[in-house]
Amino acid sequence: MNGPVIHDVWTLPVDDNINPYAFSVDLNGQWFLQKGKMVAYYGQIDFQGVGLGHLDHLIAHSFHSPLHAADWVVAEGQGKMVLADRAFDVNSYDLDDGNLSIRSGNLLAFQPSLSLKQSIVPGFLTLLGTGKFVAASNGPVVFMEPPIRVDPQALVGWADCPTPCHHYDHEYLRGFLGAVRSHTGIGGASGEEHQFEFVGAGTVLLQSTEEVVAEISVGETGGTGS
Amino acid sequence: MLAVDLTGDSVKAKNGAMVAYEGEMTFKKRTGGGEGLRGIMTRRLTGEQMAVMEVKGHGTCYFADRASEINLVSLQGEKLYVEASNLLCTDAALRTGTSFTGLRGSSQGNGLFTTTVEGTGQAALVSDGAAVVLRVTPQTPLQVDPGAYIAHTGGLKQHFQAGVNFRALIGESGGESFQIRFEGDGLVYVQPSERNTIGGEV
Repeated sequence: MNGPVIHDVWTLPVDDNINPYAFSVDLNGQWFLQKGKMVAYYGQIDFQGVGLGHLDHLIAHSFHSPLHAADWVVAEGQGKMVLADRAFDVNSYDLDDGNLSIRSGNLLAFQPSLSLKQSIVPGFLTLLGTGKFVAASNGPVVFMEPPIRVDPQALVGWADCPTPCHHYDHEYLRGFLGAVRSHTGIGGASGEEHQFEFVGAGTVLLQSTEEVVAEISVGETGGTGS
Repeated sequence: MLAVDLTGDSVKAKNGAMVAYEGEMTFKKRTGGGEGLRGIMTRRLTGEQMAVMEVKGHGTCYFADRASEINLVSLQGEKLYVEASNLLCTDAALRTGTSFTGLRGSSQGNGLFTTTVEGTGQAALVSDGAAVVLRVTPQTPLQVDPGAYIAHTGGLKQHFQAGVNFRALIGESGGESFQIRFEGDGLVYVQPSERNTIGGEV
């Protein structure tokens, strides 16, 4: 029986997936990474926290999310870098002068030609500009077109369309029985009374499970186990 | 899931990893990984404990562990270093033992010792997501996150590399301050996940 494919520094893909769960970045310059998502690298790469220092200029240009600064690092140097996140599906996406919002725990890495901002929707980040980014999802990503209403837990992100609004299923909660249901849960709540509603032109990204990729709390890097 | 065909021979597998079998099988608990009294003592002392059973019989035996990915490694006389928690099953002909890993082990919370598998045959490793196999040559050393490392083969030297600088001390660390650096000739198995789910006692 043949063993698994053996990769070395030359055969690792250039900015592409190695398998559904691992992504290889051909680093020549700088990339932003979420902490703890690098599993291995070849070459000379330095990891610098997002903060003051010689990266000041880069961060002023590309990083506008002080809430998440503690979770991000800049990888700088030359080499091949393998990224992965808790064996979730990993995919890369290209943005061409576009904008895309994504759940903050799902974004693994992005090129500094993109600019990261905090979305108005809590827990989401917005990427603006042109470049490549890498995102994880629990199960493969499904692309949908608005108008659509989606379950908040299944939402990975959205591109090029207006920010969503909340939608409540009032029919279900109307009247005396509805009030009892909504306040006590007696009589059964379907769990689907609340959705995000998207309208306009664009793309909505969904994952095929309602289990959200857990965010790592600030200050915990997961892997270093110190 | 791993299917093993047995014709009167035996394999060593992690205790409780059998999910189904066809034919006639006997399962025997092997205290200390079948390494004899010395093995039992070493494992007790080092904390690199491994609950192993010997499966013998005729038919097909199916092994699985927490729906994690299974990777087969063929050994032709070389030595495989693997964490006991990542070792699912080995051919009975393979010898297992314990070796000192130094600082690397303590950095990933797996203790200072690791399991070695030696001989000719196949070993099955479990990983959280399909493992990526990376080749190390003298020209291309490899740095691996301690939480993602599962096993390696070949003549590799490992160093514990700490990129701690004054910025780490003021709380602005790069988050990737600790790595294992592999130098030499060999293969390193890396899982696409950082150990939290699979590293504990199974």
